[in-house]
Amino acid sequence: MKKLLSLLFAVLLICLSLNSVSAAPAAQKTTLSVLIHQNPPMVAFMEAFNAKFEEKYPDIKIDMAVVNANDLSTVTQTRLTANDIDVIDVFGFANGVQPYMKNVDAPNWQQLIEAGLLMDLSDLPFVQNYDAATVADAGSFDGKVYEVNLGRVSYSGIYYNKEMFAEKGLSAPTTWSELVDACKAFAEDGIPCMTAGGKDGWPIFVGAYGLIGSVYPDQAALVEGLWTGSLKWNDEKSLEMWEKMKIYAQDMMEAGASGVAGDAAPGRFASGAVAMFPGGTWYAAAIEEIAPELDWGYIPFPGSDDSADNQYLFGKYDQGWSIAAKTPNRDAAIAYLSEFSDPDNYQEFVTAVGFIPTQPTAKLDTRIGNEVAPYLENFRVGYEQYWVAPKGAGQFANPWASYFKPFGTYDDAQTLADKAQADLQSGLDALK
Amino acid sequence: MNYYFGRGGAKLIPYLLLLPGVAVYFLISLGPSIATSLYSLTDATGIQGAPIRWIGLENYREFLFMGQASRDNLDALGRTLIFCLCVTVIQFVLGLAAAVILNQKLRGRNFFRTLYFMPVIYGVVIQGLMWTLFLYPLGGPMANLLRWFGGRSEFLGGQPAEAFAWVIVVQIWANMGITMMIFLAGLQTISSELYEAAVIDGAGGWQLFRNVIWPLLTPSVNTNLTLNLIGSLQAWQLFMILLGYRNGTQVLGYLIYATGFGQTSGSVTTSFRQGYAAAASMVLFFLVLAIGLPVQRFLRRREERILG
Repeated sequence: MKKLLSLLFAVLLICLSLNSVSAAPAAQKTTLSVLIHQNPPMVAFMEAFNAKFEEKYPDIKIDMAVVNANDLSTVTQTRLTANDIDVIDVFGFANGVQPYMKNVDAPNWQQLIEAGLLMDLSDLPFVQNYDAATVADAGSFDGKVYEVNLGRVSYSGIYYNKEMFAEKGLSAPTTWSELVDACKAFAEDGIPCMTAGGKDGWPIFVGAYGLIGSVYPDQAALVEGLWTGSLKWNDEKSLEMWEKMKIYAQDMMEAGASGVAGDAAPGRFASGAVAMFPGGTWYAAAIEEIAPELDWGYIPFPGSDDSADNQYLFGKYDQGWSIAAKTPNRDAAIAYLSEFSDPDNYQEFVTAVGFIPTQPTAKLDTRIGNEVAPYLENFRVGYEQYWVAPKGAGQFANPWASYFKPFGTYDDAQTLADKAQADLQSGLDALK
Repeated sequence: MNYYFGRGGAKLIPYLLLLPGVAVYFLISLGPSIATSLYSLTDATGIQGAPIRWIGLENYREFLFMGQASRDNLDALGRTLIFCLCVTVIQFVLGLAAAVILNQKLRGRNFFRTLYFMPVIYGVVIQGLMWTLFLYPLGGPMANLLRWFGGRSEFLGGQPAEAFAWVIVVQIWANMGITMMIFLAGLQTISSELYEAAVIDGAGGWQLFRNVIWPLLTPSVNTNLTLNLIGSLQAWQLFMILLGYRNGTQVLGYLIYATGFGQTSGSVTTSFRQGYAAAASMVLFFLVLAIGLPVQRFLRRREERILG
């Protein structure tokens, strides 16, 4: 028995010593865990960037995880809690709780900061590469910088197929009536007017944010008005919006759009199956990749019959980079973001992804960049970036076109407007 | 039956043998359950390092009584019960019918047993993907079939009631195989002599089923009913994969997941509210208890009455 134990002990010692010899060089290599959300052009760019980064920093290996946009906050929370992530792509940093909002929960990015899970980036040199207004508006909390925001996007525009419009003798619609007429003209030929990636939920209504914008160009004031009671979802002005949303859902959107996946919708537009595609500027790269020859344009959603009201592009600050406060790979994480923020690399990123840049030296010198350039002076942060629902508000308190048939249950604009206001009012009353 | 483990310290052996199992049970089942009940009385976010405040029954008040949101929650609770009833009854009946038919000496019965059981091994994601393609409204098989009859539908993305009904169909399709296999196992424990004796006594098909098969299947009936009830009350994954977070379709299980983990639609930011989600979990727990316990009691008494 003793001999057997001695033999086992000797084998164990040999294994341990061999392991330590072979493990010594490998221990030098740092694995940096990076989390991003699914956006095909961005994923493609990041894969190429990571390869370049690993070449420049041979001691750092990048382990990048890609998750669906809807799951990003869940995965961020669980991986940060498990201290299993170093660099994170954070969404929606801009929409904080406003002073007039009572009894609401802080948005998740604020919760993460208050829990001490995001690193203070204030003194890091790469932050200076981004314009000061963006750093202040979409990256700072309590005077400290926790995120560098990588770009703005518009989501209230419409892609339109110039060739199909020309064939019908139509020009790009600049008013609501022109849009309605254009859709009727295509419908006469059996061509669906618009599509959207309704399978993912939000794309079915995101285009209609332009409709809200044409009625309420000051979206921050809209949210404050709804909270304070000076505006109602069922007042005369809003009712016009609901009427148009009904037409958008029932007459403009193609039947079956609810089954189209978010990343398949640009392909459907690019294939010429529909004449228009209401959606964000981030889809441009996918459209160009699928159909490089397609002649398309991008216009603000013409929700009003006064073309002057339709000059605004609504959007948001999109994703940004943050570093986990407890990362054991602090230097590698900073090196990673420094490299990413290098103006040349950032320019490549903007060109690949189609974001409106947040570094002052970068230019969106792409097709979508040229399309949105005339409207950039009129770029405004959209409604949903300000909106925080009061506790107790019902699920219809948000103005989404997808509540109308065939995607939802409502068929009458007044009924839905009353329901939206009642659901909101219920939350406001619960505060009293 | 008595087990003998010796005298003195040896008497502790059975308890020591039980210890690992009990420890695992505490660690992965009872412990988290107790923690959930405590969390439900706090404003915990689930974020490591975030302060946790004791807020008493506030989460329950908000979930059950605060504004339209609480009425929406109660609607979700109602949908959970409808889902449970439909799934339990239909899956039970179909599973039993399939088991009885496939217990006969039929050609190709192994093929059909495999076919019916196959969805069980796919996993929820594959199941969801298959049905998403099958119900694709722009040229999927079901859309084409409907078009032949002049109809059209958005299926999973359309009217909430229709989308909800499709999830019931998928849940039954996905799990009927288990129900069938449990019944098949039960059927194969019934001695062939009993069948023969009943046939000699002149029993027809229905009498054979009613007086021989059904009573002797009692343990399988109990197992299936219990599994179907609890499984359908707690279901949420198929809702997430097939429908996402849509008004008028949520059940309690999905509501809990979405609230607890701040699930978002696109970039619309939400908060992490694990204390509130824990309160919703406790409501679901009491619902399962309120339905599960009387049913269990009824089934046990029935089993004692029939099988002694």
